[in-house]
Amino acid sequence: MTRDYDVVVVGAGHAGVEAAHAAARLGCTVGLCTLSRETVAHMPCNPAIGGTAKGHLVREIDALGGLMGEAIDATAMQFKLLNRSRGPAVWSPRAQADKREYGRWMRSRLEADTQIGWVVGRVGAVCVEGGRVVGVELEDGRRYGCGAVVVTTGTFLNGVIHVGEEQRSAGRVGEPASKMLGESLKSLGLVWGRLKTGTPPRLDRASIDFSQFEEEPGDVPPVPFSFVSGEIDRRQTPCHILYTNDRAHDLVRENKDRSPLYNGQISGIGPRYCPSLEDKVMRFPDRDRHLVFLEPEGVDVPEIYVSGCSMCLPRDVQEAVIHALPGLGQARMLRPGYAVEYDFIQPTELRRTLETQRVAGLFLAGQINGTSGYEEAGGQGLVAGVNAARLVRGEGEWVLGRDEAYIGVMVDDLTTRGCLEPYRMFTSRAEHRLLLRIDNADLRLTPSGRELGLVGDERWSQFVARRERFERNVAAVRAARVPGRGGAVPLTQVLRRPGVTLQGLAGDGAVKVVTGSGAAEHEWSSVETVVKYEGYLRRQAATVARGERDERRRIPAGFPYGAVPGLSREVVERLSGVAPSTLGQAGRVPGVTPAAVAVLGSYVRRWSDREMAGPPE
Amino acid sequence: MFATDDTIVAVATPPGRGGLGVVRFSGPEALAVTTKLLGRGEPLQPRHATVGTVVDPSASHRDAIDQVVATFFPGPRSYTGDDVVEITAHGSPVLLERILSLGCSAGARLAEPGEFTLRAFLNGRLDLVQAEAVGDLIDAVTPLQARIAFDQLEGTVTQAIAAIDAKLFDLVARLEASLDFANEGYHFVEPGTLAGRIGAIREQVLRLVRGAARGRLIREGCQVVILGKPNVGKSSVFNALVGSSRAIVTPVAGTTRDLVSSVIDLDGLAVTLIDSAGIRETTDPVEAEGVSRARQAFGVAAAAIVVLDRSQPIEDEDRLVLSETSGGRRVVVLNKMDECAAWTPDAMELPVDGVAVEMSARTGDGLEELRVALRSALVGEEELRDTPSVGNRRHIGLLDQAGAALEAAETAVKTGATEEFVLADLQRARAAFEELTGARTPDDVVNHIFARFCIGK
Ligand SMILES: Cc1cc2nc3c(=O)[nH]c(=O)nc-3n(C[C@H](O)[C@H](O)[C@H](O)COP(=O)(O)OP(=O)(O)OC[C@H]3O[C@@H](n4cnc5c(N)ncnc54)[C@H](O)[C@@H]3O)c2cc1C
Ligand SMILES: Nc1nc2c(ncn2[C@@H]2O[C@H](COP(=O)(O)OP(=O)(O)OP(=O)(O)O)[C@@H](O)[C@H]2O)c(=O)[nH]1
Ligand SMILES: [Mg+2]
Repeated sequence: MTRDYDVVVVGAGHAGVEAAHAAARLGCTVGLCTLSRETVAHMPCNPAIGGTAKGHLVREIDALGGLMGEAIDATAMQFKLLNRSRGPAVWSPRAQADKREYGRWMRSRLEADTQIGWVVGRVGAVCVEGGRVVGVELEDGRRYGCGAVVVTTGTFLNGVIHVGEEQRSAGRVGEPASKMLGESLKSLGLVWGRLKTGTPPRLDRASIDFSQFEEEPGDVPPVPFSFVSGEIDRRQTPCHILYTNDRAHDLVRENKDRSPLYNGQISGIGPRYCPSLEDKVMRFPDRDRHLVFLEPEGVDVPEIYVSGCSMCLPRDVQEAVIHALPGLGQARMLRPGYAVEYDFIQPTELRRTLETQRVAGLFLAGQINGTSGYEEAGGQGLVAGVNAARLVRGEGEWVLGRDEAYIGVMVDDLTTRGCLEPYRMFTSRAEHRLLLRIDNADLRLTPSGRELGLVGDERWSQFVARRERFERNVAAVRAARVPGRGGAVPLTQVLRRPGVTLQGLAGDGAVKVVTGSGAAEHEWSSVETVVKYEGYLRRQAATVARGERDERRRIPAGFPYGAVPGLSREVVERLSGVAPSTLGQAGRVPGVTPAAVAVLGSYVRRWSDREMAGPPE
Repeated sequence: MFATDDTIVAVATPPGRGGLGVVRFSGPEALAVTTKLLGRGEPLQPRHATVGTVVDPSASHRDAIDQVVATFFPGPRSYTGDDVVEITAHGSPVLLERILSLGCSAGARLAEPGEFTLRAFLNGRLDLVQAEAVGDLIDAVTPLQARIAFDQLEGTVTQAIAAIDAKLFDLVARLEASLDFANEGYHFVEPGTLAGRIGAIREQVLRLVRGAARGRLIREGCQVVILGKPNVGKSSVFNALVGSSRAIVTPVAGTTRDLVSSVIDLDGLAVTLIDSAGIRETTDPVEAEGVSRARQAFGVAAAAIVVLDRSQPIEDEDRLVLSETSGGRRVVVLNKMDECAAWTPDAMELPVDGVAVEMSARTGDGLEELRVALRSALVGEEELRDTPSVGNRRHIGLLDQAGAALEAAETAVKTGATEEFVLADLQRARAAFEELTGARTPDDVVNHIFARFCIGK
């Protein structure tokens, strides 16, 4: 096959756009395949970006030079910094998006990129020759040759949507599923499974009595996602809060047998952190009400998203449930909620670059890997796009560690443990959480982004100035002394007291802190945190250092786990499937005990020595 | 570390002459090696005691070495998890040596100390606590030590720690939920109860640590020194406790000069009893050295037995000894009760706090009371089997670490730190527990949360 593009990206959802952009920034020509240009970076569910841990992912994507942060800053209707009452490690930005504007912003950004060519159509097969990907073939017969393929088709592989008894083959409502591509991937021998997710009904704004609800305003001033956005000066739109009631719960219970979730029609496993209303009512009968948010899908669109009421009951029951809620008695349902079942590829098939172990040059990113969420998809898209480009250019792997980024935690979790249910990011998954904050995402990652070629000159020069300010500010804070009982005391000592803030101290003239123009929240926060919580950070860094030895000990590809005595067959199978690249990763494979890691360590060493010395006679 | 894929061999019974001796082989070649030794055509049947003869295969006449019983335990369901063959021979050391060396020439390697247990651990047959317990079991001197080692082997320590860890885990999961699901309108942990809950967990850890101090006494034994002015009968008390005339007894004051020691079994407690020179001012350099050694011995001993002579008036030297020992654990013995009493403790206003035992070293009256008093001064009244005893320094160290981390968490809560910092401390405590039991459970905090709360949009 002749090469039309360096890299082909299949799908222009949240993973696809980051992958295409990253590969293009690294100097590759990219063919971006999508079913339609109208659905680029479409949000089929919650019209929001960020939230706990997800906000971290967005900051990291941004710090590396990805798109998501800038896109949401440019198009959000409401900003909120979650967990503000807690410490800086768990603050997390979230914003309501104008979802149509968000998609348009992404599309125009990619259309302006001359490295990216658009291929509108349905990809039906990945072309493989000699264990290596050589291109893609569309269902209409068009073929495109390339050096690497990134598949990011979301919920489209054999998607089936359910509304009550109605079932239809579809990737999302109104969009046909991808059947041939699914078969093509399975025929490569990739292990797959089936998952399920759902979305609530949409209501017509004009038919809702908003006076009945509590109002949820945004933060003033808004804290942006991107390190390069500067101050955001835009009118914010409120959301509204209400609660479900007995009447609605009774309706769900009475019609339980008409829900595909409870009558056996759906077999895929759904996300427990995103339970359907059916699940909430059936599994937690003690709770007499559940929280519901009404979120507008755009500044001037009629759709209101009913967050917390995901369901796939028949249309008439959904309508009755909605009408049972206060203020929604007259609400007009524009679209019913639905559940979608889809195939995913078990991510233990992947290396930590998101390249499949079986087929060289074939990368997978996003919901196809069993994750759920735009941010999770975006992060993977970036990792896959970078590594696809590096592969084509003959450069080495790029892998983020668990101690470097939430993205690193996510990719390690996926490739090491696989998915039994849709995977979502949580801060509790990051064992080095105190080091992985939103305020230092740029300090952690922008230098890597620059080295990779993702970070342009403008972001870089901004970053260099910010890093210099940071270092100078920390030095100033460490040097400062303030009057205290019995003479001058170090400012650091005062700052470590509960309730004392750096901004407060600087306001009193105790120290001079210089921040950049625009929103400087993260600049204050990173200086304050490294001083105020120094002890905690040092301890966590020490834990990282302790684990480093195992993280650095590589397990050669093709290591024969079956030859290690004492490992159970199940563990041998798991290890062979995952093919961990380091001893540290091996220790995180489910079922592998520290004892097994100890034995493995001694065998890996001897096996490598033997291999090095040449094959046995 | 040793290799773990070859076949090792060792004598598994204690060294010295016994009725029977067991030679144990473990590893992939165990069956092949022993089949060769037994000169058999067909291999041993699994889990069957087979009578046979060990022969020297290299000798021209295939010399018969000994009549033995051999048993084959196929892995992984064997002690080490490898294939294991045990050969029970007659207990002569020379014979067992011969079998070992034959085993080695047939392809096995002499095992390093502890290597069988190491393999059992590496193969997942034992957890770390259990593996250490095996070593202790072998080294156990007194029956009670052996029982504590058994406790560990059965996993009661592991269980006690697992129970504490489960509570800690629940608390950790709830705190994590309050971070990850901040907007759900739940109190995952009732505000105001957090410090108390951490404190309760810490108290449990401390109880194990306190038990551990006792456990260590039992495991490692302790020293008890007998003190008193000259001629009060210290050596006589020593001999009575030891049950033989180890120390010289004469009517001459200043008989004992150097320290004399002997190990006694105090109902399962291994106690090293030390007799010492009578304490008094003296110009004799030899005696002075003895007195100074007596004081040093007290400095390192776990407890003292202070002997007073009831048949003679109290002197300043008696008061000196009493005041010098008043800080530590001690039992006061009022000796020579077979003679007329010259005083009572009350009348003399002696600081004989706690236990005073009246006895006669000469007749043996009161000896049992002294033993009981001494034992309770050392380990308390509690029945030793009531709580699992952690008897190993490594375990105690890790429990201490967990306790310190929990204390830090408690302090953090009290000074207003938010959940993620409290969690950083709690996670350190959990890490210590995990290191203790050697088992790392994948932190399915998330599972735990979803099993209990209805959360998510
Ligand atoms: C009904 C529903 C409910 C959801 N609910 C939630 C939720 O509650 N919470 C949550 O976090 N996440 C939810 N999600 C998930 C979230 O939308 C996805 O995780 C995220 O969009 C995945 O991004 P992606 O890039 O992997 O795929 P998508 O954004 O789905 O993008 C897939 C892209 O692939 C293209 N494509 C598909 N097949 C082909 C083909 N053969 N050839 C060419 N192009 C193709 C499509 O046009 C599309 O652009 C839901 C999704 C759906 C559909
Ligand atoms: N009647 C009587 N005499 C005792 C008793 N115990 C010890 N004696 C005598 O007291 C004398 C001293 O006894 P020791 O045991 O040598 O005393 P000691 O305290 O070790 O003396 P020094 O080693 O010299 O410090 C000996 O003559 C013992 O026989 C007792 O219980 N009753
Ligand atoms: Mg004496």
